[in-house]
Amino acid sequence: MLRAIILGASAFATTATATAQEINFIACPVYRDTNNGRKSGCWLTSDPASGTRYDVTAAPTKADWNKAILVEGFAAPDEGNPCGATVMQPVRVSILELPCTRHMLPAEGYEGRRFSLPTRNVRPLYEDRKRPEKPYAKGRFTIPFDFDKTFITYQISDYYLDATINYALDIQPALVEITGHAQTTPRTISGETITEPAEIAQERADVVRRALIMRGVPEKNIRITAARPGAAPYVMEPFDGLKSPLERRVDIRITPQ
Amino acid sequence: MIKTVTLPLAAALLAIAVAAPQAAQEDPWWDPDEGRTFPAQLEYANANGTLRLLLEDGPMETEGHPFFTSKGPDGRACVTCHQPADAMSLSIESIQRQWERRGAKDPLFAASDGSNCPSLPQGERASHSLLLDHGLIRIARPWPGKDYEGKPLKPDFTIEVVRDPSTCNLDKRYGLNSDEPHISVFRRPRPVANFKYIEAMGFAYDPKAGMPLTVDPETGKPVSGNLMADGRVLSLTAQMRDAASAHLGFLDELDAKDMERILDFERRIYVAQQRDAKGGDVDAAGALGGPMTLMTSRAGLLGSDGGMPVWAEFEAWEKMSDAEKAKLPKDVLEFRESVARGARAFREKTFLISDTSGINTPIGFGNPVRNSCVFCHNMSHMGMDVAPGQVDLGTTNMPFADPAPHLPLFRITCTGKPHPHYGRTILTHDPGYALTTGRCSDVGRITLQTMRGLSARAPYFSNGSAKDLRAVVDYYDRRYTIGYTEQEKTDLVNLMRAL
Ligand code: HEC
Ligand code: HEC
Repeated sequence: MLRAIILGASAFATTATATAQEINFIACPVYRDTNNGRKSGCWLTSDPASGTRYDVTAAPTKADWNKAILVEGFAAPDEGNPCGATVMQPVRVSILELPCTRHMLPAEGYEGRRFSLPTRNVRPLYEDRKRPEKPYAKGRFTIPFDFDKTFITYQISDYYLDATINYALDIQPALVEITGHAQTTPRTISGETITEPAEIAQERADVVRRALIMRGVPEKNIRITAARPGAAPYVMEPFDGLKSPLERRVDIRITPQ
Repeated sequence: MIKTVTLPLAAALLAIAVAAPQAAQEDPWWDPDEGRTFPAQLEYANANGTLRLLLEDGPMETEGHPFFTSKGPDGRACVTCHQPADAMSLSIESIQRQWERRGAKDPLFAASDGSNCPSLPQGERASHSLLLDHGLIRIARPWPGKDYEGKPLKPDFTIEVVRDPSTCNLDKRYGLNSDEPHISVFRRPRPVANFKYIEAMGFAYDPKAGMPLTVDPETGKPVSGNLMADGRVLSLTAQMRDAASAHLGFLDELDAKDMERILDFERRIYVAQQRDAKGGDVDAAGALGGPMTLMTSRAGLLGSDGGMPVWAEFEAWEKMSDAEKAKLPKDVLEFRESVARGARAFREKTFLISDTSGINTPIGFGNPVRNSCVFCHNMSHMGMDVAPGQVDLGTTNMPFADPAPHLPLFRITCTGKPHPHYGRTILTHDPGYALTTGRCSDVGRITLQTMRGLSARAPYFSNGSAKDLRAVVDYYDRRYTIGYTEQEKTDLVNLMRAL
């Protein structure tokens, strides 16, 4: 019921089946220049453990050809072959500070994907937004983050941030409680041991707090609360069924006063 | 087709009908204190045709108006650098004409910023070479400066002067190592017109910052973030204070009444090219070019989401019937078809955009990303960025900047994280937005300009590096290895000269 107010959780069905194995690896990306209109290029990368080449273009964050990426996702062999590699979907890409040699492939007959506006996009101010109806319910929101980043990424984190802020603004007076989380348990992926610094949890919470204030949520109604270790995200939907990004998030609870 | 008309068009047309057509023989140059009447409609010839200015709500007396009245020791007014005939910017042609007329005595060439450095002998042409040869005004920014709230910046980079033919960055009194350290960069005046668009907020966020739009501490309200090359002021009133002390040389603030009157003028004035020397009126045969569409349309819409596609003003010229075509002289037809193709190329011809801070990082579009001119120039009718438009096109940074032996060159050393594309050290002619934020990742990010009235205000780019519209297209062709055909280049140039 709560999730229905907030997000319409069924809008983003994942293609992953319950039995699919989540694939995580670190590798250098390769850009395939499928010249098929704006944003039509493909991001390919090979899992060093298996040598399998994957198409990770569906990730909200696209790669940088100079830097290694952390890939977290499901193989989706039913999604066709627009780029010349096994499609991963859903998938997340995080850009790491590990240098790569840039490499670009020509289209080689692959068409890539015509761009279409992702479902998770922030609407312009010139479009009316639907306000919640009274009596106001408690709101719970979750904003996902890329690995080792506090940046609100385009067409994923910003979508959830915007939903959070709009709800907080629409049901004022309300108490907003923010909890930042970080992935502090070391993981070994493709031979690299990676972990997020504990402070990043607080930094993420601060980013969300600042954003709320900038949009006009009264500072006095905002609290940052400590994370309960092992707690599940308030909302699972932003992760599309993936497990490994779950700890990189901010949870927000909004209680009407 | 334009669903964005907001003004009663008839009222706007009426205001124009009553205005006397501007006498063509009047001097195009506006000196301060002339006391001319600014009519509801004003036209000026330029090399490509005719520019038109519209003043919403009818004529205005400029006698005693603070935009047109000299203030400060140099006898300058705002209009000195924001000339109606030059689309409210300043063309190199006008600058050179004023030098021929009056030499260093013209207030335009005031020592403070109309010369390469105030300590140079002011009577000599060479001391004003950056203004005379490149159309550039000296902008002296305290370094390190302050943030929007007035707190001192803690920059994550250092600046050294590699060379400075202007002499000013090495000057004992004005330089980076003086008692009051300043960095001098040299920039083109930005047009003072069409502010409905420049001030418009299309979205609540700045995706380049991953945060909501910056809030102006003076008003507590968010702002569009599209003013000045380096985004150093958040509002037109803050800009006026900056201009009054920097360009007009008086430290007393303009009084509240003056500011109100300037603001009133700035928000009423619209400018665009109206007639092309080859193609005739840019709003002929169903096209919607010219300033009237600007004045009567809603501002701040994204061309790809709710707004009119960018430069679809010229769609009608794409769809002319054979009967209509047959009626037009060959030259006119060719020009109109070329403009329409140019508009389409602007939106649809894609290329790989790479290593461009503000686009490829940190948003997550990917590096590279395939897109077109309209990716950055995305606002309907205006071709600026709906989001705050600070982007590093490379116009001021090595290795992408064109050679500019006349400009100062700085070495930036990032002391924290390296720059996402350039590494630890960056050679730049103008650190741009980084002078405002103190972040090395912002070096060379310059706020996108509007694209109207271009024919009246060469040279282009903030540092004047493109001497004409063809040079703009050639710069992009080199920067992003686009491979435009000759025809595409001509079409883009024709489009831009008609804006
Ligand atoms: C000496 C020439 C000069 C004078 C005089 C001058 N300006 Fe400017 N103006 C400039 C330059 C150069 C810029 C661009 C500065 C930059 O980008 O850093 C500019 C930019 C602006 C802008 C920003 C436009 C935009 O879209 O970013 C406004 C507004 C403006 N001026 C208004 C004024 C007003 C009002 C006055 C009088 C109080 C004035 N100017 C006097 C040279 C001048
Ligand atoms: C990656 C973003 C981006 C793309 C793509 C882009 N521009 Fe720009 N454009 C900018 C920025 C940033 C500036 C300001 C740069 C400066 O002044 O140094 C600018 C400035 C300009 C100007 C100068 C306006 C003036 O007042 O001086 C013109 C004209 C222009 N662009 C045309 C084009 C054309 C034509 C294309 C397609 C070939 C294009 N732009 C593609 C970002 C972009």
